[in-house]
Amino acid sequence: MSLLKTQEISKAFGKLLAVNRVTLDIRQGDIHAIIGPNGAGKSTYFNLVTGYHQATSGRVLFKERDITRLPAYRRCVQGITRSFQITSIYPKLTVYESVLMALVCHRGVSLNFLSPATGFFREEVWRILEEVGLAEQAHAQGDSISHGDKKRLELAITLGTEPELLLLDEPTCGMSPEETESTMSLVRKLCKDRKITILFTEHDMAVVFGIATRLSVLHQGRLIADGTPAQVRASEEVQKVYLGGAA
Amino acid sequence: MERRDVLDRGPWYENKWWLIVLIVAFFAAPLVFGEFYLTVLCEALVMSMLALSFNLLFGFMGQLSFGQAAFFGLGGYGVAMLMTKTHVNFWLSIAAGVLVAAVVGLIVGFFCVRLRGIYFAILTLAFGQLVFFIIFKWHNFTGGDDGIQGVFPPPYLKSPVSYYYFILLVFLGSTYLLRRIVRSPFGQIVKGMRENTIRTEFLGIHIAKYQLIAFVIAAALAGLAGAIWVPFYRSVAPSYLTWIKSGEPVMAAILGGPSLFLGPVLGMFIMTFFHAWVLGFTVYWPVVMGALILVIIFFLPGGILGFMQEKLKERETRKQRGDSDEFAEDAGDIKSIR
Repeated sequence: MSLLKTQEISKAFGKLLAVNRVTLDIRQGDIHAIIGPNGAGKSTYFNLVTGYHQATSGRVLFKERDITRLPAYRRCVQGITRSFQITSIYPKLTVYESVLMALVCHRGVSLNFLSPATGFFREEVWRILEEVGLAEQAHAQGDSISHGDKKRLELAITLGTEPELLLLDEPTCGMSPEETESTMSLVRKLCKDRKITILFTEHDMAVVFGIATRLSVLHQGRLIADGTPAQVRASEEVQKVYLGGAA
Repeated sequence: MERRDVLDRGPWYENKWWLIVLIVAFFAAPLVFGEFYLTVLCEALVMSMLALSFNLLFGFMGQLSFGQAAFFGLGGYGVAMLMTKTHVNFWLSIAAGVLVAAVVGLIVGFFCVRLRGIYFAILTLAFGQLVFFIIFKWHNFTGGDDGIQGVFPPPYLKSPVSYYYFILLVFLGSTYLLRRIVRSPFGQIVKGMRENTIRTEFLGIHIAKYQLIAFVIAAALAGLAGAIWVPFYRSVAPSYLTWIKSGEPVMAAILGGPSLFLGPVLGMFIMTFFHAWVLGFTVYWPVVMGALILVIIFFLPGGILGFMQEKLKERETRKQRGDSDEFAEDAGDIKSIR
């Protein structure tokens, strides 16, 4: 079943057409990778789905509802959230407070002015921290933990909003091979246990073919291939513009 | 399991004994201070409320409001006009003063919260000056540059000592309320917007709406400060709304430490008392104040209270390390490890 659909979606920056009439189905339960060379429009496509940018034309449907004109925060309430390529966390808050922040934002207590925030959602925060393996660092400040842990923390924060569709922009960017491996198995686990559909971009082809259940290729803003990893690997056009001899 | 207990602080009186001492000292102050310093103390308390309202936006939300005095002045004018022109009851006038400040805060805030950083600061400054000029020029309605005189509190609050206690109670009540707010889920989101606006938006928060709520709370608190100050001073003048007045909470927050809840209060107390004392032998107060701010910015960038907290933390860590070396087996029993 399709969870998210983009229909003929385009985004122009001045004369540059960053995303050019992309029609794509993201099916529920998939780990869907979007790949393409630098400047292919992956990040812009992400921004159109999450509402960071408004589409120039075309429509975005989430669970059959038109969300094309919804601002980012409303899409998040509906179940779409994201991580950023440049890790976006709360540097001066502790790991625990950061995850608590997400729950406080999402669980309908955001207009509570009088009860202490620390009294809320203790079980849930610890469950998420244990799930991503950050329980030991719960009281460390966000900017004091390692790069890999910051990426995990961002993932933990997004989990606080109970997303149905989670977009990960270069989730293993800058990670060591061990960190990459554990992050990928974490993503796989989240997809399975929490039934989260994942849409991600990644430049590391080993990671992409290791985890993706579905693959789309963007080139100069256009969608040039879409299918299972095996199908995409076999596509001649993809071979020509992107994978080269690597596959 | 024990790591979860870090969230549970001990009973509040264990950590907060100094607060009780301070409050008792405030209640005992009229026994010690003469009328002059009692007046200074009243001013310090009222201006501290203004500084706290400013710091909700600055220290907690990360937005510098340079028009906070406009709300202070509006609260004051609200009370003064209602009491002298229509002879409305004192308490109702104060409530109305707060309401006026909050409503204007809602209108001004609506435009300001769409901006960040320097643009936010400039727009609040512009709105502040706009309100000032309206009051300054509208002679028939507001008294223009003459201000309004003869704003008398009810008989039971006429003496400086009784009015001091009134101010003290309002200060304690509103400070307690604000403290609750900054620690609440809403306060958590306010801090989140300071730390990372984009991240917070992608957690489903309508940034402008939440900044507007904080802006209105700050305006109402500034209005309350102005509303209780004017009957004490028996008069109100347009100078209460100028950008110079708006600068005072900015300096107090930097002086005391904007990252700590009571930092601006300490800063305002130092400024007010220092001002009263310095005026005894020189009129060049701004020079003295400027020098003080320079010293703080260069040597104590976290403000005075921030510096003190840092030193205390250092000492505690040193002590703990020492303790655990000597009594390694008892380390698990030390309750104060945070």
